[in-house]
Parts: sequence; C-alpha cells; structure tokens
Amino acid sequence: MTDSQNAHAPDNRGFRHLLPDAEARKKQRRRRMINDKLSAFGISMAGMGVVGALALIFVYLFSEVTPLLRSVSVTPQLGYALPAAGPETETLHVILDRYQEIGTQITRDGRIIFFEADSGEVRSEFTVPLPEGTEVTSFGYGEKRDGVLAFGLSNGQVMVAKIEYELTYPQNFRVTVPKVTYPLGEAPVDVDEQGQALTQIAIQESSRGTVAVARTADQRLLVNAYRTQRNIFSGDVRVTATRTEMPTYPHAVTRILVDNSQRNVFIADPAGYVAYYDIADVNNPSMVERRRVIEGGQRLTNMAFMVGTVSLVIGGEDGSLAQWQLVRDDQNQHSLARMRSFVPHKAPVTFIDTEYTRKGFLSGAADGTLGIHFGTSSRTLLQESVLDSTVGRIAISPINGRMLVVDQYDGVHPYLVDNPHPQISFRALWQKVWYEGRGAPDYVWQASSATDEFEPKMSLVPLTVGTLKAAFFAMLIAMPVAVMGAIYSAYFMTPRMRGLVKPSIEIMEALPTVILGFLAGLWLAPFVEDNLPVVFTMLFGLPLGMLLAGYIWYRLPQQYKNYVPAGWEAAVLIPVVLGIGWFCVASSPYIQLYFFDGSMRQWFTDQGINYDQRNALVVGIAMGFAVIPTIFSIAEDAVFNVPKHLTQGSLALGATSWQTVMGVVLPTASPGIFSAVMIGFGRAVGETMIVVMATGNSPVVNFNIFEGMRTLSANVAVELPETAVGSTHFRVLFLAALVLLVMTFIVNTIAEIVRQRLRARYSNL
Amino acid sequence: MTESRTTHSKQNGNDAMTSTEQSSHGFDASQLRSSDAPQLNLANEKLKMDVQHLNLFYGNDQALKDINLVIPEKKVTAFIGPSGCGKSTLLRCFNRMNDLVDICRIEGKIMLDDKDIYARGVDVAELRRQIGMVFQKPNPFPKSIYENVAYGLRLQGVKSKRVLDEVVEKSLRGAALWDEVKDRLEDNAFGLSGGQQQRLVIARAIAIEPEVILLDEPASALDPISTLKIEELINELKDQYTIVIVTHNMQQAARVSDYTAFMYMGEMVEYSDTDSLFTNPQKKRTEDYITGRYG
Repeated sequence: MTDSQNAHAPDNRGFRHLLPDAEARKKQRRRRMINDKLSAFGISMAGMGVVGALALIFVYLFSEVTPLLRSVSVTPQLGYALPAAGPETETLHVILDRYQEIGTQITRDGRIIFFEADSGEVRSEFTVPLPEGTEVTSFGYGEKRDGVLAFGLSNGQVMVAKIEYELTYPQNFRVTVPKVTYPLGEAPVDVDEQGQALTQIAIQESSRGTVAVARTADQRLLVNAYRTQRNIFSGDVRVTATRTEMPTYPHAVTRILVDNSQRNVFIADPAGYVAYYDIADVNNPSMVERRRVIEGGQRLTNMAFMVGTVSLVIGGEDGSLAQWQLVRDDQNQHSLARMRSFVPHKAPVTFIDTEYTRKGFLSGAADGTLGIHFGTSSRTLLQESVLDSTVGRIAISPINGRMLVVDQYDGVHPYLVDNPHPQISFRALWQKVWYEGRGAPDYVWQASSATDEFEPKMSLVPLTVGTLKAAFFAMLIAMPVAVMGAIYSAYFMTPRMRGLVKPSIEIMEALPTVILGFLAGLWLAPFVEDNLPVVFTMLFGLPLGMLLAGYIWYRLPQQYKNYVPAGWEAAVLIPVVLGIGWFCVASSPYIQLYFFDGSMRQWFTDQGINYDQRNALVVGIAMGFAVIPTIFSIAEDAVFNVPKHLTQGSLALGATSWQTVMGVVLPTASPGIFSAVMIGFGRAVGETMIVVMATGNSPVVNFNIFEGMRTLSANVAVELPETAVGSTHFRVLFLAALVLLVMTFIVNTIAEIVRQRLRARYSNL
Repeated sequence: MTESRTTHSKQNGNDAMTSTEQSSHGFDASQLRSSDAPQLNLANEKLKMDVQHLNLFYGNDQALKDINLVIPEKKVTAFIGPSGCGKSTLLRCFNRMNDLVDICRIEGKIMLDDKDIYARGVDVAELRRQIGMVFQKPNPFPKSIYENVAYGLRLQGVKSKRVLDEVVEKSLRGAALWDEVKDRLEDNAFGLSGGQQQRLVIARAIAIEPEVILLDEPASALDPISTLKIEELINELKDQYTIVIVTHNMQQAARVSDYTAFMYMGEMVEYSDTDSLFTNPQKKRTEDYITGRYG
C-alpha cells in the first residue's frame, strides 16, 4: 500500500510524499471499514451467542419443569349403560383395568362382568359359585392393586375372589384376558360359625395371609385370619383360619376397613364417627378410640384407604373431605389425627375412590360434582360438575389416565384424565408437610423407594438449606484465608515472591474437585474423626502461633534478620506453620486422652451433639480449599490495582502501612473484594463433586457443623441417573437445578449491584 | 515495608556537619562547599534541612550523584531541570518515599533540623507527618471532603468531633478552599475540579501541622487559573511552612520561589537565590536550560 506513484517522486517544492496517494488511501479506507464491520458483527454475534446459550439453558430447564404446573383436566367420552343395568341388579363395585380398556362390573347376584370401557359391550362374564340358597349380603375389597374382592354371604361365610388380567400376544398384538381366581378356594370359607348373615365385610391380603373382618347381623365383630396351603400336586387349597371376636360396636356401621399390617381396623359410623380397633394382639383385640370425624353433627358418608392403607380419606354429608391417620403419642398410644382437609363439595360426598399407586383420590358428590385431590400436596386439583345427578361410583384406572363415572341409573360416563404431577405444590416443596406415618409435619426429601405405596417426599427445603450450609462453612474457612492472603500478597509481598505465590495459588484452582472430594471423603473425614482436637487446636493455635512468631521476629536482633532477604519474611512462617501443624496432630491423642476420655467425637455424642463422619466441617475444609483460589485471585487483583498514588498519598500523611491498608486500600478495593467473595460463594453453591463425595448426602435441615447435608447440585447428580424420564421426580430434579440456577443468579446479581454501588463510591477518577 | 533498607555512608563523619548551634543561629557561609553554590548567600536564613553527599541508586543505576544542599526555613525552594534529571527523586528522599521502591539504595545524609532522617530508629510515619507531600496528580482519597482532611488527624488518634471540625475548617481555609466547599463537606472529593482537588490535598497535608511541605510539580496537571491559585497559595503558606517545590515550569519557579536549584542528569548543577539563577547563571548548562536550549 505504501507504494504509490508519487510516493518516491519529489513534488515541485522538493517535498517527498511518503503517504500513499489518495486512491490507495481510499482503498485502504474501504478495507478498514469492511474489517471493522466484520469484526463488529462477529463480536456481537459471539456475545449474543453466549447470552442466547444461557437463555436456552433457562428455557430448557423451564420446559422440563412447567408440566409440574399444568392443571388437571378431564375430557368426557361417549357414555353407555352398565352391562347389567336395571332396577333388579344392584352394582357393588366397578373397576377399570391398567390398560384402560376393560371395565368390570360386580353385582349383588355374584356376577363379575368384564366389558369394553369404550362401548360397554360385554367381553366375558363370570359368576361367583355361591352355595345354594345363599345370597350376597355384603361386599368388600382389599388394597386395590391386589384385586381381592370379598362377598359376605347370608350364611356367615365369605367368598373371596381375585381379578387378574392375563396378557397374551396373538399376532403380536396385546390382548388382555381378564379372569377370576379364588385364592381361598372355590368353596366359601366360614367367618361366623353361628351362620349369621354378614352385614359388613372387610378384606385384606398380604404376605402374612388374608384377613377378613366382618360384622354379623347380630352385631358381633369377627376377625378371621386365613392361611392357605396349596397342594402342589393336586392344586387343592387348604385353608386354616384363626378366629377372634372383637368387642362389639353398638352403633350403626357403614364400612369396615382393615389395614395391610393386619393390626388396625377402622369402622365408619354414619353418625359421623370412626372407631379404631387394635387387633395386633389376635387374642385380645380392643377398641382404642371412637372419634368424631365430621364436624357439626353431620353424617359420615364414605371412607376409604389411601394406597398403602396408612391413612384414611373420609367424606361427610356436609361435603367435607379430610385425610386422617394414626399418630402415636408419648405414651405410645395411637389415636386418629386429621392430617389435612380438602376443598369440600357443596353437597354430600357420595363416593371416594383412591388411586392405585399414588396418594391421591377422587370424590363424587350428590350434586354431580367430581373432585380430584392429592394428599401429599394438600391439593384439590379439580372440582368440576360432571353429572346432572348424583355421582354413584367412580373407577379410576391404575395409571390414572382414565376413569369411569357411574351415575345412579347405572349409566357409565368415561373420562380421560390428565393428571400427571399432582404431588407438587408450592406447599409440598417449600413448607412443612405432614407425611403418612409421621407424627408431625416436617421438611423431608426422600423421593424414591422400592415399593409402590411409598409416599414420595419432595421438599426442597433440606436441599436448599444443605446447599447454603455447605457454602456457608466453605466460606467460613475460605474467606478469611483468601482475603487476608490477597491483601498480604498484593500489598506487602515483594514482587518476586508475589510472582511465585500468586500463580501457585491460582494453579490450585485447576485441581479437579473430584480429587478434593475423594481426599475429603476417604482421607480427611476419617482423619478428622480420629483427631478432632486438631481442628480446634489449629483454629486457635495457628493464628496465635503466627502472631507470636511475628512478635519474636520483630524482637529479633538485626543480624539474624539479615539472613532473610527483604520482603521474604513471610517465608519464615512456613516452618512455623508446619511446626504448629505437627504439634497439633501429635498432641491430639493426649488431649483426647486427658480431656475427652479418649475420644472427642464420643464426647460430643455424649453431650448430645450428633457427629457424622462426613460432615460440614470436612466439606468446609475441602470446599474452602477449592474456593480459596477463586477468591484469592480476584481479591488480589483488586487490592493490587488500588492506585499507587492513593497509597503514597496516605503514607505521605504519616500513615503506617497498616493504617494505609485499613484507611485507603481496603475501601478502594472493596468492590473487587466483595465480588471476589460473592463469586467464591457462587462457586461454593454450585460445587458438586466435593459435596457428593464428602457430605454423606443426608438431607437434614440443620446447621450443625458435625452433621452432613445434601445439596441441590449433589442431589441432582446422585438421583437424576436413576429416575424415570418424565416422571414427577425427574421434573422435580430439574426444578432443583432451576432453583440452583436462580440462587446463583440472585447471588451474582446482588453481588454485581453492590459492586457497582461500591465502585461508584470508591471509584478513582 | 521495611524501613531499614537504606545504607548510610559513614565516611562523612560528623566533622563537616552542623551542630545544633549552627542550625539554630543561622548559616555560616564559610561552611558551604563553594563548588556547589558559589553564589549562594544564606547568611540571613535559618536552615531547615541539609542534604549531605547524597547518592541514590536504582539497582546499578545512579540516579543522584553526590548532592549537597541546604533548605532554608520558611522559604520556598524550587528544583528545576529537564525531565529525568532526578529532581523528583531528590524530593522524595526528603520524606523517605523512596523507601517504597525495592531496588532503591541511598547513601549520604539528610538532616532535618539536626537529626538524620535516615538514621536507624527513625519513625518513618512520624517523619512523614513532619514533612508533608503533595503529588503531581491530585490524589484525594475516595472519601468525603471532610474525611479527606480529617484522615491525617484520625491517623494520629484524634477522635473528638469538635477538634476535627475545627482543624478541617482551619486547613481548608489555609488552603483557600473553605468558601468553595463549606456547604458540601460530606460530598465525595472526586466531585471537585482538578485545581480544587489539589488544594484539598494541600489542606489535607497542612491539617497535620507539618514543618516542611514537599510539592512535586503540584500544578502541572492543572489549567492556568488553577495554577495561579496554587501559586498564590504557596505564597501564603511560606509564612508558616518550609516549602520545597519541584517544577519544570521555569516561570513558575521564578514566580514562587526564593531559592532555586538547577539539576541535570542527577547532579546539582547550580543552587542560588532565584533572582541570581535566572538573571545571572554561573554555569553554562544552567544558562542553556533557562534560555530554552534544551529541556
């Protein structure tokens, strides 16, 4: 470019142009402009790309979480009449199978009719083999997914049937074949040896056998426990029964329920009471409590077990719906307690149908409204008018995708149900929840278990508290060390020593945290447990020892000081620190022996302070180690960048170095130091590997330094690989990740705002 | 910071040096080394500081070469010379600001009254209280105007609000800034103009009652009006304080100073009263400089 025609040609005044000519300059200008435009475009695209990528992460997390917030909906489908409809047949029960294809109608004359759920067409029909001259006087069913039905007969016997679905695949299409089996044999078994008709019956099948609780026409309450032995050659079933009689209940009874553990019996009294019988001791069953469960003298209309048979759902004439369970008091006495109430119906509750695998239930009322409720989250998810008349029965499918609503004229109204994530509400995530089997509301994270009747406990409080706890203890250790180290290295150290120290500390940041976590969990945690006094002696010994060393150094005659090059005085502390460290470790067994009866850890336990091997102290040390380089590096830069003319101005006024640090350097560097600390905090909040490996991952809600915690990040890391994609648990884990992101976002935003404020105040021209 | 890094040349001994008597009873012209200041007549002056055979090294480079110089009390002494001649370095020796430079090594003595400021056991912080300094670039602290002036007093442990108020007002009046800032003492000092900031820094310096004020090109970053104000201020301050000023503005030196030293390449070329130096320089290099041959 510099070569232009007249570049070397002297003009008429003898002046030599070295500048390129106008044409060339114009070209160059255009080229420069293009370069400028291109780079501006490229840089802004890259910047937008970063922002866009971050936004996409947010959007993705949101998209995984939003289904949790979707409201429940039901979609009506074409209705039809039950196969055996009419005034002469009384329907006892309606069931919908797990493929939502086959409905089952059970009638009082002992018929079990399977019909197409879409059309009401009969698929197959079975008749329970009732003895001659008897009729069905009562009906009961056990845990719904067991499919066990009990027909109480007028001769004091019971006929137990079980509905099973067999899957076949002719031509590679699934065909469900329903069938009826008789676990206690095809002959009825005795309940009442006196042959009185059974007016109420409850059945429950479990690994311990089958138990039936019945009330006879003369108001006796009978408990029958059956054990079956099947002859493997002949296929005959031998049933042995144990019978007991419970104290009678001298009031009306509409329903009897017996739980899975076969210890507790609940009797619904239409006057608004529930009676609780303890039958754990087979030979001495007793009534523990009769309790009013419906307020204001209203009647109790329906009662059902939640899955797992731990809690009861009770509906009243006043439309109220509440969940109750047994709570044990200090004297080990059980009594019924109301866990929560749901949005009531405006008319009497006519039917309650509980879900098969979740702690939810559906309710129908006399005014034709349908309610969908969920226990854990205390939510009434839907309340909608589905019928013009009374809701007779509801049959939800085991997968909660479809239900059959039966009106009082035996008309069937199928509905599609969309209710995938009822467990989640603000309350379930962030407030104390009263879970089944617990004495009081609490914050619990326990999202999965091996059994179906397990109630997932998904409170984010323990995780959030754990996250803050881990970050807090890490900062407790990292902040003083890093900030003071930064001040020393930036302000007091000679440039050569600083040139050595700063990069070394910054290299620490590159240390994979998995190694730190590994060391913390497998070496540090047992070491700290065995040598607990070391922590305390070091906590006090190190600063005191260093101060003492400083004083001795100050007092030392000049000729000794001259051995250490100027500015390298800090290096003298290295042997001091090592020495104190060695002394602390070496003295630990003796301290434990003389002051703590041999074990300080045991001593703490005796004082009532829990001690976990993997605890917040260990995590604090390990994560502090991981966070120190971050804080140090940024804070060091901030202190180092305090303009020299400010420190000189202060020194020139007769300030000592220390006064200059406190009066000028720290205020001026405060924005940088503050953001260093906040960035360190953000890092501690998001840190994963160390907390996974060294916290013990117990989701406890406390700030005890000797107990562990489970953090949001560790929780996601541990549980996400094991959860089903799209399940509530899966989405809650995404929510946890979102909470984590929001937390760091808030922390960083606050940090930035404060930093800007500080910078406005302490900016220097 | 280690304050004991400077080594002192011992060959001077005490023979050539001022006794208490001499420094308090005026200057004996016969003791002046004629080679340094042939024209200087300080017979009527009381001496405040005395520099003796000062050599200063940055690593292996010698920045000041055998400087000998006396500073008269309650007068304005100016150092002039081209950039890099060592005049600021010399000034910074007076309150040991060069201690902050790691590779700096000093030989020789600087006496304040009759005490060597480089002697062992000198409290540098106290020394710097006695010898205040104002830098080229205004350097108020990121604090309020009030706190800037009060800073030095707080360092000395003054806590009483009444005393602080009084000193702040007195100092700001002394620096001719009071009327301009009295209504906004709590405002950040960065809100002031450059000239006001420089006067604030002077107020800050005089608040702790120094004996000597070192001014390192105090007006070089300022506009002409502010410069004028600073120069007026210097004139007022010299009634109370001994002032040493470094400037590369010869007119300024001529306007404000009583004595002027011309330095070149780390050497003291000529030192005399300002009138003589500018009107009748004895050395050719001085003449070349003040007539603008180089600089």
